[in-house]
Amino acid sequence: MATGHSMGAVRPHRIIAFVGGALLFLALLVAVTLPAAAQSVPTAADPFAAAVQALDARKFSDKATAVDALGALGDERAIAVLQAFADGRLYRHKADKIVIIADRAGDGFKLTSPVTGEPAGTATSREIKKIIANNKLRGQIRGVLGQLALFSPDADERLEAARNVIASPPDDALALLKRARDRETVSKIRETLETGIAVFELASDDRALRLAAVATLADRSDPDIKSALEQRLLEVDGDAVEPDAEVRTALREAVDDIDDRLALFGLAENLIFGLSLGSVLLLAAIGLAITFGVMGVINMAHGEMIMLGAYTTFIVQEIFRSTMPPEIFGMYVLVSIPAAFIVAAAFGVLIERGCIRFLYGRPLETLLATWGVSLILQQLVRTLFGANNREVANPDWISGAVAFGGGVSVTVNRIYIIIFCIMVVAALAAFIRYSRFGLQMRAVTQNRGMASAMGIRTGRVDALTFALGSGIAGVAGVALSQISNVSPNLGQNFIVDSFMVVVFGGVGSIWGTIVGAFSLGIVNKFLEPVSGAILGKVIVLVLIILFIQKRPRGLFALKGRAAES
Amino acid sequence: MGPISSRLIAMESKRSWAAILTLAVIAIFVVPILNLAVPEGSLFHIPTFWVTTLGKYLAFAILALSLDLIWGYAGILSLGHGAFFGLGGYAMGMYMMRQVGERGVYGNPDLPDFMVFLNWDSVPWYWLGFDQFWFAAVMVLAVPGALGFVFGWLAFRSRITGVYFSIISQAMVYAFMLAFFRNEMGFGGNNGLTDFKDILGFELSRETTKVGLYVATAVSLLIVYFICRAVVSSKLGRLLIAVRDAENRVRFLGYSVTNAKLFVFTLSAMLAGLAGALYVPQVGIINPGEFAPAKSIEMAIWVAVGGRGTLFGAIIGAFAVNGTRTYFTAAAPEVWLFFLGTLFILVTLVMPNGIVGVYKSLRSGELFDAIRRRLRRVDA
Amino acid sequence: MFKSLKTIAAASVLAGSLAMSASAQAADTIKVGILHSLSGTMAISETALKDVMLFLIDEQNKKGGLLGKQIEAVVVDPASDWPLFAEKARELIEQHKVDVVFGNWTSVSRKSVLPVFEELNGMLFYPVQYEGEESSRNIFYTGAAPNQQAIPAVEYLMSEDGGEAKRWVLAGTDYVYPRTTNKILEAFLKAKGVPAEDIMVNYTPFGHSDWQTIVSDIKKFAAAGKKTAVVSTINGDANVPFYKELANQGIKAEDIPVVAFSVGEEELAGIDTGPLVGHLAAWNYFMSVDAPENDALISKWHDFIGSDKRVFNDPMEAHYIGFNMWAQAVEQAGSTSVDAVRQAMYGQEVPNLTGGVAVMNTNHHLSKPVLIGEIQDDGQFATVWETDGVVVGDAWSDFIPESAKLTADWTYPWVCGNCEKPKYLTN
Repeated sequence: MATGHSMGAVRPHRIIAFVGGALLFLALLVAVTLPAAAQSVPTAADPFAAAVQALDARKFSDKATAVDALGALGDERAIAVLQAFADGRLYRHKADKIVIIADRAGDGFKLTSPVTGEPAGTATSREIKKIIANNKLRGQIRGVLGQLALFSPDADERLEAARNVIASPPDDALALLKRARDRETVSKIRETLETGIAVFELASDDRALRLAAVATLADRSDPDIKSALEQRLLEVDGDAVEPDAEVRTALREAVDDIDDRLALFGLAENLIFGLSLGSVLLLAAIGLAITFGVMGVINMAHGEMIMLGAYTTFIVQEIFRSTMPPEIFGMYVLVSIPAAFIVAAAFGVLIERGCIRFLYGRPLETLLATWGVSLILQQLVRTLFGANNREVANPDWISGAVAFGGGVSVTVNRIYIIIFCIMVVAALAAFIRYSRFGLQMRAVTQNRGMASAMGIRTGRVDALTFALGSGIAGVAGVALSQISNVSPNLGQNFIVDSFMVVVFGGVGSIWGTIVGAFSLGIVNKFLEPVSGAILGKVIVLVLIILFIQKRPRGLFALKGRAAES
Repeated sequence: MGPISSRLIAMESKRSWAAILTLAVIAIFVVPILNLAVPEGSLFHIPTFWVTTLGKYLAFAILALSLDLIWGYAGILSLGHGAFFGLGGYAMGMYMMRQVGERGVYGNPDLPDFMVFLNWDSVPWYWLGFDQFWFAAVMVLAVPGALGFVFGWLAFRSRITGVYFSIISQAMVYAFMLAFFRNEMGFGGNNGLTDFKDILGFELSRETTKVGLYVATAVSLLIVYFICRAVVSSKLGRLLIAVRDAENRVRFLGYSVTNAKLFVFTLSAMLAGLAGALYVPQVGIINPGEFAPAKSIEMAIWVAVGGRGTLFGAIIGAFAVNGTRTYFTAAAPEVWLFFLGTLFILVTLVMPNGIVGVYKSLRSGELFDAIRRRLRRVDA
Repeated sequence: MFKSLKTIAAASVLAGSLAMSASAQAADTIKVGILHSLSGTMAISETALKDVMLFLIDEQNKKGGLLGKQIEAVVVDPASDWPLFAEKARELIEQHKVDVVFGNWTSVSRKSVLPVFEELNGMLFYPVQYEGEESSRNIFYTGAAPNQQAIPAVEYLMSEDGGEAKRWVLAGTDYVYPRTTNKILEAFLKAKGVPAEDIMVNYTPFGHSDWQTIVSDIKKFAAAGKKTAVVSTINGDANVPFYKELANQGIKAEDIPVVAFSVGEEELAGIDTGPLVGHLAAWNYFMSVDAPENDALISKWHDFIGSDKRVFNDPMEAHYIGFNMWAQAVEQAGSTSVDAVRQAMYGQEVPNLTGGVAVMNTNHHLSKPVLIGEIQDDGQFATVWETDGVVVGDAWSDFIPESAKLTADWTYPWVCGNCEKPKYLTN
């Protein structure tokens, strides 16, 4: 959401008068040919009000004409109206057919007059009807708004506008971009504008301009630019699009250069995607590394602990939504982390005390009992929350993507998940290594009898260890709720993968789990483009089976007593 | 009486012989007669629904036996037995698919509908021969057997045991599921093989065919039971039990643990394949869902519920769990998972030897002592 | 010896009594079987259909039932387990003696029960948009066939209003519905002059959750300087992570519109739709359509279910139409006998919730309008295009050569589901 909504704020733009002036002639022309709808409006005398009213046309083609007309008026009030139209906030009052801006407020709507910008009372959802924009209109509005915002004092808005104009170019885009470039002081925006200009000038009649454009574009690393260059190398009906041989050579070299760089970027992209997938696998598996790896419990209900964490996130979100001011809504994720830990850990204690403690030393039977637990938990959630997906929104601060150039972009939520994953694992490792409880936990795992003899209450340590593993799984659920479904089946989707990670890495070794998760993630992502998503996964599974033949105890096998199952 | 038949008789106690023969007579003669000969509406009529459903349970019982053979007696818990079951089912399904011929929706005499749809002009090489029943019948045992042999050889040679074996067998069945989902594999993708018309010339929709399949499954179960009983009461069987209880010691005593395990695992895979082949014509569909890891886990649960290491328990477990499911999915469709989940937990907690174990301790009056002892031990 | 015999006897009596108890009930009600998964992977979509059936039956009973009898719902849970669907279908028909069954979602589950319905001469109403290529005498298909959903959606995207897309990504889950739809669409696009290099086809497994690579590939494919559109036949569970990845990678509908055939109001309820405004879906029904019948039914539905947050979607409308058609046909036939009701079904008309009238054709498919909607930030769709009248559902696609020559017509003289020549059988 880092893009797209930033233009929402209404600011006076000095330059509107300028653009407006340039388009005045067109405006007059359109005003004359405006559709008949304008006649029924009481304020027909005001051309702006009439143009706004014309947006409420039946056909999309008429709406499109009205959008152009409104933009062409050069009236700065148009920005708010067009923005509202694009955002789906423009409505028709059913009673008097007046076009109005409406914002959701509680159960009803708060109305604003598009003409005066003044509040115009409230309405219920039955009293007003949305004026629908489609993709084409939104694209067109984006272009019109872009023209207006290209000269905004705000640098971010200008960058956004430059991109929008390049993406949905109006007829006179080249001239517009050049004008903007001449005034531009920020180098990043200038570069964007120059790129846009160069793309247009590839088709210029002037051979020198074309050569210069190729030179400008040759050092960009963008698939869009590459395809723009390639377009010039195509042949149409036997004739090359680019007539000049020298320019063609330059084009070819530029394309080759970009290709080389893109190949490198492609590698980097797979690596980042692999790290991201690996971090998801690691989060899902790290709790299992404790319950299964350390305690020897084959916890088939592990996935359901993740699910409980995700549902806790949902509940916390709903509480925030209904009780907290919207400004701090995005913080719900942070509150969810301890909440999910506590909920999942509490269930963990319950399961351990009520069931698993009777089964220590019989790992394969814990599998059966926890399978029963997992069925019960799934049904419980289904009964309480319903069978369908629950909505967990990405807060603004973890939405959007970071572009790394070369068409490589990684979404912000995945970057946070990588960071979060590292933090969780580090905290866990430190806890086990340094805390008193961690020491007791290791003691019980290594030699239960001896630990008991030294005065450690092994039953309590067991319960807390299981709670820790479950709690971590709950925390993983918070992260997974940001990228995946929140449904009763959530846990089932991760359970098999989690076991693979733990076994591949070596049961009982946290390091093994970390290395295992990241290597499976990266291998998977390098295979996917070659073999397709499905076959890639099959190959990874076969590789795991073959790997276990070589190292029957996984990557990082524990040595000594604890290794004997 | 020759030595073989006397050994056969000696495999079971008198009491067991009586139970086995009674059940066999009920399953093989009484049920079909009550279905075919007794008129509908009579109190003693068994509807066709129950014949096909019982037939399905019988196939599951064969599958459970195959799993009990390796888990109960050799301590190998396979969470991938669905792969063998499914492959046996696919082999049978391929035969029946080829029998459909021109009766498919596109009316192509040689190609199954889904191949016509994928624009293939001839059946791929691995479908050749499946138009012959004998070939399919061989493949039903050979393909799962070969997979079991290769997988077992890889695993047992490198001494993969316990949970490691369970998890990689799960990886195997999961890989099968994903692979069979792919339409390019040539096994009908997600829809699998379905809309069969007949088997060996008998129309599948006829009541007599259903009863015939049911009887064939019941007889197979009886035979498989005796095969398993013969294996576990042989010298090999005692060796396997020794492996289950102390593998390394057996190794040090000079026995070839790997070969013994490999033999019984391959046999188990073939029996699972047989179960799949008997299952498919009765339910009318085989698709990658049979390879779902959850299904393979459930198979282990049947054995645990019935009581592992008893053979008879595996059969009881298959009937008990699937019967529970059939009943509760209709009687309590919204909450039946609570019942099933609770059943699994209770069985593992208070009935460590399954239903058969409960029956045994009830007979000897040990049940309550045993529960008390278990609870006390935990608190210690 | 005696002990074990007694145990066995007791067990068989128990099994027998279970069997009896089901079939022994008196037939003073009309029984409607509901065969939707309430657990397992498909519970997400199918539970709501079970609820809507209970609602419709309740409405009908309030009106006095049918033929003077009350309607009784028989709900079973096939648990997203395909062979179990076949078992439960047989149980409904043979044991519970239901007169009709409403159920199924996935194609594989329908394929699994089809032989059962044909063998026992049952009647199934199947409410979900599907791949076509089927017409069974015992199934009425009330969801959309590909020509009622996929083709109009692509035509719209090719049109001026739709943005004149020239380059196409066909992304789907790897199973029969996406395969068939994409096959039909490929043939259609090529017929419209789209070159092969402008079509990218991609399949992913069920429940695919890591969409980074594919969304990134779509972006690269779209960078070729031609307007690109994505046609998504991605199924159920995989949609939420797919749309979240789309939103976060900043793919806007203005640049690369995604039109989906399996994403409706129910699916959107699990997603924050703010960043997805403008992506499209093609259905025969949208909850947002401003029509009096629609408003009235939705408010009754909300009363019944006790929550005004619950959505109504296309397969639910399909059940609404199917159930009302069946009820009318029963009244007309004066009986619930499958053969009589089937005859009465042909030409049966029920008003759509969105206006116009749905008609049951002799190929067992409906004539319905096609709507194309854009996702709004409130999780609803805004209709941006609709057909002038209704579109007749095709059992056999004209764009697949083997199927183009087949006809489905269950009335005289054809009397068959997949014939090249009439059979002249008396039905």
